[in-house]
Amino acid sequence: MSLGDPDVLLDARELEPPEPLVRTLEALERLGAHEKLLVLLPREPYPLYRTLELNGFSWQTECRSDGTVAVLIGHREP
Amino acid sequence: MRALLSFDQAPPLAAPLRFFLTAPLFSALAGLLLLLAGPQVLVSRWTPGALALTHLITAGFMLQVMLGALIQILPVVAGANLKHPLLVASLVHGTITPGALLLCAAFLLSDRLTFEVAALLLAAGVGVFLLAAGCALYAVPTTSPTSRGLRLALPGLAISVALGVLLAGARAGSLPLPQATPLHVAWGLIGWGVVLLAVVALVVVPMFQMTPPYPESFARFFPLALLGMLAVWSLAESLSGGALATALSAFPVGGVAVFAALTLDLQQRSQRARMDATQHYWRWAMICALAASALVLAANVVPTIGERREWPLICGTLVLFGGFVAVMTGMLYKIVPFLIWLNLQNLGQGRILAPTMNRVITAKSVNQQTIAHFAALALLLAASVSPEWLARPAGLAVLVASGWLMLTLLRATGFHRQHVRRIQALVANSAA
Repeated sequence: MSLGDPDVLLDARELEPPEPLVRTLEALERLGAHEKLLVLLPREPYPLYRTLELNGFSWQTECRSDGTVAVLIGHREP
Repeated sequence: MRALLSFDQAPPLAAPLRFFLTAPLFSALAGLLLLLAGPQVLVSRWTPGALALTHLITAGFMLQVMLGALIQILPVVAGANLKHPLLVASLVHGTITPGALLLCAAFLLSDRLTFEVAALLLAAGVGVFLLAAGCALYAVPTTSPTSRGLRLALPGLAISVALGVLLAGARAGSLPLPQATPLHVAWGLIGWGVVLLAVVALVVVPMFQMTPPYPESFARFFPLALLGMLAVWSLAESLSGGALATALSAFPVGGVAVFAALTLDLQQRSQRARMDATQHYWRWAMICALAASALVLAANVVPTIGERREWPLICGTLVLFGGFVAVMTGMLYKIVPFLIWLNLQNLGQGRILAPTMNRVITAKSVNQQTIAHFAALALLLAASVSPEWLARPAGLAVLVASGWLMLTLLRATGFHRQHVRRIQALVANSAA
């Protein structure tokens, strides 16, 4: 998985809680079997990781120098 | 939203909520004590009533909110999961609650056994918490200033409680009275309180108030620098006291003022069109912190200011009721609706929508309670100057503001119960 090629981009850096979580879950519902969602957040989303784990997604996190945390999410390979 | 995903709620809602619901009981008791005992409580900071009042707020209200919030946020902001969170919450809450009540009773009764039992219960409860939180925090890498800062806040609590136990032992007559009160106060309020508040502010101020982040250098160095300055002052205070210790005390107090001024500056740059109650609480708390810092520094320069009877009462009111209680009340209005929303969302198993967060606690109820809080603060400050006339009205005002907070939080739990029943019924129907 590379953080450079998402099919869907969600920039949640300027949203107030719980909107980043709500919008990420909404985007994941619509995510196709082989699509990737890139979520941009202002901090590391520890609660989201548990949700992804529980619901069969895999993810990769990158902390950028401007403080943005980028999480690339896709369906876990069977 | 058509949430088809389930999400784990860790820790369970019951773990932090018990602390948040108990906290206003202590501030209400503080108001009741002032209402019943009247002006004699405010004769000096050392009266049994004033000491009981102070500890109803610090060991009662503040400790409940701080430990409850940490049990909730350690996994969220630091990825540090407590083992057996419900058991830890039960043990900690079950000991610090009677511990704080007995401590205040001990001050009022000057009873040796009550002091000893209170100190034992508080030390046991805080000890269990420190062990559980320490293990959780040291099990994860310190990838952010928040997780590093959270680690740094815990020793401040340990030091303050250890000194408190020594002082309680001295009051019980079982230990010689150590000259530890200034250290106990400074480590409790700055080494634990301000360090924790600043570390939590790094996350919650930008998150909930839509402000720019704190400067990276502040996030990285402030907790350690504040603790360092406090440690140097503590050393001077313990070894020699006097002018050197007084001069060195300006550094940690100045550090608190820097945190308050920086937070006010960030608030000025909030992207929100209108401030909500939480922002008002933070703003006034930071103004109170600045005022208290100025009073402490003024007394360092002009000692006669600090010798005035009302000086410690005004400082104490600004720091405790104007600062810590205000910020924590403001945060409860964000944390409690979020936790209830998260719990209901999860309960719906992705099929039933949870009501939105702003229905859990309405803005109208919060705004009215906020006005009651600041009216009580104004009366408390005025009562510090004129206790004969205003001590009882101030006590009544604190009782009203705290009762209002308690009622608002209880209504939120009633809302939760009502929607749990609704959602469970809908889930059962949709499964049938």
